[in-house]
Amino acid sequence: MVKICPMSIIRYSCRFAGLNYRKVNRALVRSICLWNGCHRDENNRGGELNVNTVREKLSHMVMKRGSKKMSKRFTPYMLILPAVLGMLFVHFIPMLWGFIISFMDLNIYTVMDWIKAPFIGLSNYVEGFSSVTTLGQRFFRSIFNVAYYSAFTITLGYFIGLGAALLLNKKFVGRTLVRGLILLPYITPDSVAYNLWRFIFQARIGILNKVLLDVGLISDQVIWLVGNKTIYAVIVASVWKGWPFTALILLAGLQSIDPELYQAAKIDGANAWQRFKYITLPHLRPVTRTLIVLNILWNFNAYNQFAVMLGTDPGKYAEVPSTLIMRQAFHHLEYGIGAALSIVLMLIMLLITIGYFYYFRIRAERKGE
Amino acid sequence: MSKVWVRVVLTVLLVLTVASLAMAKQTQITFWAMNNAPSEVNIPWMEEMAREFEAETGIKVIFEEIGWDNAWQKITTAITTGEGAQVFQVGTTWTPFFAATGGLAEMNVKDYGGSKAFMEANYISTTLNGKCYGIPWIAETRALFYNTEMFEAAGVTPPQTWEELITVGHKITNVYGEGTAIAVAGTNAWDLIHNWAIMLWSRGGDMLNADNTEAIFNQTPGVQGMEYYVSLVKEGLAAKACAEYNQPQADSAFINGDVAMVFMGPWNISGIENDNPTLPYAIAEPPMGPNGRASFSGGSNLVVRSNAPKAEIDAAIKWVEFLMRKENLVDYTKNLSHMLPAKLDAFEDPYYNQGVWKVFKDTLSYATAYPPLVEWGTIEGIIDTNFKNILGEYINGDYDTAVVKKYMDSAVTEINHLLEK
Repeated sequence: MVKICPMSIIRYSCRFAGLNYRKVNRALVRSICLWNGCHRDENNRGGELNVNTVREKLSHMVMKRGSKKMSKRFTPYMLILPAVLGMLFVHFIPMLWGFIISFMDLNIYTVMDWIKAPFIGLSNYVEGFSSVTTLGQRFFRSIFNVAYYSAFTITLGYFIGLGAALLLNKKFVGRTLVRGLILLPYITPDSVAYNLWRFIFQARIGILNKVLLDVGLISDQVIWLVGNKTIYAVIVASVWKGWPFTALILLAGLQSIDPELYQAAKIDGANAWQRFKYITLPHLRPVTRTLIVLNILWNFNAYNQFAVMLGTDPGKYAEVPSTLIMRQAFHHLEYGIGAALSIVLMLIMLLITIGYFYYFRIRAERKGE
Repeated sequence: MSKVWVRVVLTVLLVLTVASLAMAKQTQITFWAMNNAPSEVNIPWMEEMAREFEAETGIKVIFEEIGWDNAWQKITTAITTGEGAQVFQVGTTWTPFFAATGGLAEMNVKDYGGSKAFMEANYISTTLNGKCYGIPWIAETRALFYNTEMFEAAGVTPPQTWEELITVGHKITNVYGEGTAIAVAGTNAWDLIHNWAIMLWSRGGDMLNADNTEAIFNQTPGVQGMEYYVSLVKEGLAAKACAEYNQPQADSAFINGDVAMVFMGPWNISGIENDNPTLPYAIAEPPMGPNGRASFSGGSNLVVRSNAPKAEIDAAIKWVEFLMRKENLVDYTKNLSHMLPAKLDAFEDPYYNQGVWKVFKDTLSYATAYPPLVEWGTIEGIIDTNFKNILGEYINGDYDTAVVKKYMDSAVTEINHLLEK
C-alpha cells in the first residue's frame, strides 16, 4: 500500500533532485534537534526521520509551554491554521460572496454601491437560462465544449506524460538535466506560451501552415483559429503546456515502486509488458486518480488558453464557461447573472468530482483494495 | 554601542518619512489614453505635455498608454474598484455606459465654449439624461485607402459604388493574384461592427428603430450588408486568412503594400508615415449603396473618474482643460495622431480643407453615430459575437443566406430582450 506522507515527499524530491536522501534526512533531524534544543535521540541512532519523530518534535516545539495533554490535542489544529486561514480568505469567503451576489440585482446601475444592490431571489438564475435569450443555450454549449476539450487534453496529456515518466525512470547519463528540461513548457508563463501558439496557428504567417504546405500535406492555407477547428488548436497548446506536470507526478509514483517487485517478477519469467501491466499500472493507480481529478478541475476552469489564443470571445465552437461568464460579468457588467452561472458551473463540477470519487470507492471496495 | 545604532537608524527613518510626506503633498494623477499615434511619438508628446502642465500648475501627470482591446476592461475595473487612472480617454460609444455606472464625474461644458463648440454626434455621445459626462476630444471616421500604383497597373479608378468595388477588385486580383484586392478584419477584431455598419447604412438599413426600442438590422439591408462583407473573402478579393484578422493586421497588409484597398481611419496615416513612408496611396470616400454614401462617426472623449479624491478630480479637470486648449488640440491632431479634432474651432483650421483631410472632412459630413445608449457596449458585443459566428460558419463551409439570417435574428432577439428591460 502506498501512503503519501511528508517523509515520502521529501524522499521523492531528494531522488528527483539527485540528492542523497540519507544525508538530507540526517541534516533535517539535526536541524530539528538543534532548533528544539535537544540532543540527538539515542533510540534513533541512524538519524532516520520518520513521521512519528517529526510529529513528536514538532508538537514539542509548538506547545513547549502548554501542558502536554493540551498540546497533543491542539497541535494538529495549530499546524493546519495558516492553511485554513489562507483558504478562508482566498477561497471560501469570495465563494460565499459569489453565492450572495448571484441573488442580487448587481449590474451596471448598482455596481458603484454594490453592497446596497437589491436582492431579487432567483431572478438571475431564471434570466440566465431564459428561453428568450441564447445565454442559457450558449452556457450549455460551453459546458459541452469544455468537456470535449478536457477529455482530449487530459487523455493526450496523460499518455504523453506516462511515456515520458517511464523513459525518465530509466538510468542514463544526464537524467537529472533532462528531468529539469522537460519542465520548461510547464514553467513558461501562460500568456507567453499561448501567444506563441497563436502565432504558430495563424493562417498567413504561422509556421504550422508553412510546414504543412512545404511538406505537401495541405494545398491551401488552413484557417485554424476560426470556426470548428479552433478547439483543436487550443487542445494542442494545452497538452504541450500540461504534460510535464503529469510526467512529474507519475515519475514520483514510479519511484515509489519497490524495485524488488520487478526483480521477483523477472525471476518468475514475466516479460516487460507483463511487468508493466501487473506491477507498474496497479501501483500508479492512486496517483493517477488524484492526477485526473486535478486535471478535470483545472481544465474545466480553463480561461487563459482560450482568451489568449482566441480572444475574450472565442466563438461558438470554442466558447468555454470561463470566457462566457467573464464577458457576461465583467464586460457587460451583469455581475448577478455572471455569479449565477458560476454557481451552476460549480455545482456541475462538484457533481463530477463526487461521482468520480464515489465510482472509485465502490470499485475499490469491490476489489477489496 | 548598539543603542547608538538604533538611534541613528531611527533618525534616518524619521527624516525619510518627513521627506516623503512633504513630497506626497504634490497632487499626482494618472492619465490613460490609447495609442492614438504610434507609441514612439505618442508617449514623448504626452510626457512633454505633462512637463509643461506641471510647470504651470504644479500637478504631476503620469501618462500610461493602453490598448483599445483591453481598454474597456481596464476602465471598468478602475471605475468599480476606485483604483487606477483618474482621467482617461474612452470611445464615444462607451461613454453613456460608463456614465450610467455613476463612475464618471459631471463636466461643465460651458468652460469649453458650450455644447455648440463640438461636433454634434460627439457631443451627444457624452450626455446621459441631459447631463454631460465627458469632453469630446478627437473624432474619427473611416474611408477607403487605396494603393495608387496597384490601381494604375490594373487600370482602375477608385470604386464609386459597392458593386464597382467588386469589379475593381477582380481586375486587381487578375493582375496581382487572389486575395490582393482588399483587406478586411475578422474574428480577432474588437471593432468588427464598424466595417459592416457602413454597408448596412448605405443600403438604407439601421441598427435600431427611430426610438431605440427595437433592433432592426436583421432586415434585408443588414443581411445583404453582411453577405457583402463575407463575399469579399468568398470571391477571393480578400485573403481567406482575413477571417481571423484583427483590424491592425488588415491595416498592415495594406501598409506593407500587399493589398490594394482597405477601410482605415486618419490615425493610420501616421502608421504609414512610420512604417512605409514610400507607399503610393490615396484616400477616397466610402462607396455608395442604393441609399447613397454612409460613414461611421466615432471618436473619443476625455472623462474623469468620480470616485477619486476631490483634489485629484480637480487636477484631472485642469488636465482636460489643458489638453483641450486649441494649440494643444491642433498640435496633437494635426501633427501627431492625425485624428480629427472634435472641437469645431480647431477643425476649421485651413489645414483640414486640403488633400486627404478634405476627404475625411467630407466623409464626416454624412457620418452616422451609433445611438447614445447605455446598453450600446453590450449591443455591440452581441452583434460581434454573432458576426464572428457567421465568419466561423463560412470557414466551416456551412454558409448561406439562411445561416446569416439565423445569427442576425438571434442577435436581434437578444438585443430586443435587453432593450425591453
